[in-house]
Amino acid sequence: MRKTRTKIAAGLGLALALTVTACGEGSGGSASSGDSGGSGASGSGGGGDYTVAFVPKLQGIPYFEAMNSGGKAACEEIGCTWLYQGPVEADPAAQADIVRSYIQQGVDSLIVAPNDPDSMAPLLKQAADAGIKVATADTDAPNSVREVFVSQASTEGIGQALTDALLTAMGGKGKYAIVSCGQTAQNLNSWIDVQKAYTAQKYPDAEIVDIVYAGEDQAAATQMATDLMNAHPDLTGLVGECTSSAPGVAQAIRDAGKIAKVFSVGLGTPQSMAPYLSDGSSSASILWDVENLGYLTAWTGVQLADGKELQATNDVSDKITGVTFDPSSKVLLLGPPLTITKDNAGDYDY
Amino acid sequence: MSSSTLTPAGGAPAGEGEHTAQARGRVLPFPITGQEIVLIVVIVALWIALWLGTPAFLTGGSIVPLLVAMAPVALIGIGMTVIIITGGIDVSVASMVMVCAVVVAKAMVDSGISLPVAVLLSMVLGGVLGLVNGVLIAYGRVHAIIITFGTANLFKFVGLRVFGGSTVNGIPDTLDVFGRGAAGRTLGIPHSFLLMLVIAALAWYYLRHTPSGRHLYAIGGDADAARLAGVKVQRRVLSAYVLTGLLTGLAACFVIAQGTSTLAPNVGAGMELSAIAAVVIGGTSIMGGRGSVLGTVLGALLVQTVASGVTQLGWRSQLASLFIGIFILIAVGADLLRQRARRTA
Repeated sequence: MRKTRTKIAAGLGLALALTVTACGEGSGGSASSGDSGGSGASGSGGGGDYTVAFVPKLQGIPYFEAMNSGGKAACEEIGCTWLYQGPVEADPAAQADIVRSYIQQGVDSLIVAPNDPDSMAPLLKQAADAGIKVATADTDAPNSVREVFVSQASTEGIGQALTDALLTAMGGKGKYAIVSCGQTAQNLNSWIDVQKAYTAQKYPDAEIVDIVYAGEDQAAATQMATDLMNAHPDLTGLVGECTSSAPGVAQAIRDAGKIAKVFSVGLGTPQSMAPYLSDGSSSASILWDVENLGYLTAWTGVQLADGKELQATNDVSDKITGVTFDPSSKVLLLGPPLTITKDNAGDYDY
Repeated sequence: MSSSTLTPAGGAPAGEGEHTAQARGRVLPFPITGQEIVLIVVIVALWIALWLGTPAFLTGGSIVPLLVAMAPVALIGIGMTVIIITGGIDVSVASMVMVCAVVVAKAMVDSGISLPVAVLLSMVLGGVLGLVNGVLIAYGRVHAIIITFGTANLFKFVGLRVFGGSTVNGIPDTLDVFGRGAAGRTLGIPHSFLLMLVIAALAWYYLRHTPSGRHLYAIGGDADAARLAGVKVQRRVLSAYVLTGLLTGLAACFVIAQGTSTLAPNVGAGMELSAIAAVVIGGTSIMGGRGSVLGTVLGALLVQTVASGVTQLGWRSQLASLFIGIFILIAVGADLLRQRARRTA
């Protein structure tokens, strides 16, 4: 009996460990859009069918699915093979497995939105050593060998737009709190730094009282926003820093019956924010055209594989023009952020 | 025996009371365990500390959302307690929440199903998934963790297929009766919490006072001995997983109600670990044979109190994980010490 129980206990531990790693391997419908036909010797087929692989932080959420459809559309127009696969949860280890498998496949360009930039850096080095062109998109890994970072909007642009939208609703003063998501997410943290500095500089009567981290979990974000309103009875603003916490903080305001007493802004997708924008629990959502970001990502992958230099300003398609490239930081910038309100939320189908 | 002839008045009722308590004690343990008393003391102490240390912890605006947030975890935990008492475990409940939630959410968006239909659909679906687990475990004779680990991935696949690589948007407010908002409570008491309490009370009575409830403990203590004693082991084990499926289906409705009008594919992620944490902190032995749903409900309450407390105190978010980890280790340590004491006694 003792023996079996020890075995059971060991089995429990093993299975839990397996659960954690296997979470990332659920197969979504849109895992890949074709076989890796153009793999191997990069740069051989002059302008031909390059394979561009994109690994999002997690797949199945509307944000990255919109990037996926933008990337697919780009490859149909330019002529490349678009591969798209990410973990089911925002888990660095599961994401690393997917990156490794793309390295083994020998894709031409590998573009990652890393969950953990530090642990992704050595893998990107490994890919570059294998002759693969590497880049980051959506979230940067600045201390890595990536050749380009495809940025949705400048850090300053996002941070300032969020702050301005919230403080306009709050009347330029008051206390607010931020419900962020992954604690190690580079882009979220750099936006928060801008929000802190910009608030202190432009809105001296406003104050950020707390910053909490809910992971990519809507329910946790909602509960934390509720707790923040209780912890600070004079709180008048909340920021949902990612696509899961943006509707979460608005839901908390709605549930607490504090619409028009507490205001919120966030980085939410238009479809998920529409009900909250219309009842006023969310004042505005700051985002960018995610499909265009996906398009730009695929286009960049092809440019890298083809060995073409990026220009200071690039016209990518008839919709995406004037994309700036900064050679010193190697950042390719999609453009200024997009402010979504109740008036234009219906214009986007993601 | 007539006590009045043997002992002087006054001593008699006490003596008799002691006797019956002893006689009953041989069959049933004391209604509340030491660990549960400790949990109540800890929770009360935390609530007092948070009442003193934060502006609004002990107000309706704070306690009601806390009770709503812990309800689905406690509900799944009740089923998990029953399973763990039989010596099993179910790590597929998170995937079950996901499947039930996405099917019900889609049905609400596409066909506008009513509240009773939504709850029924979710519970029937959960029950079917629980039946799959139960049949494989009761008749497959492979340990539950392996089976449910397999079905967890299977269910997840099914759920992701239903999601179809996108979120479910524009979920109507049909289930708001279980939510955090004004529609979710009567006289200040949240419906989801109340419903969970009623189910916990029924489960408590079932486990403690019905023969089939006691059989579950016998199976967890020693399945072979139970079988030789005439317990229908396979049928009881099967029913434990079906029960958990039904409760998980109901919990999925709570999860939709608490969420936003958008359902994302990571819904329910990690709930199996939250439920197991509540069960273990509640004093149920992970080896089977001992435990109670009261402890599980208290465990879930403690975990949510810590999570909310850390936020309301303005402490770093990751401290909640640290505290919950410490609680689990203390609870498991206490369980091991009790087992050792029992063996040497």
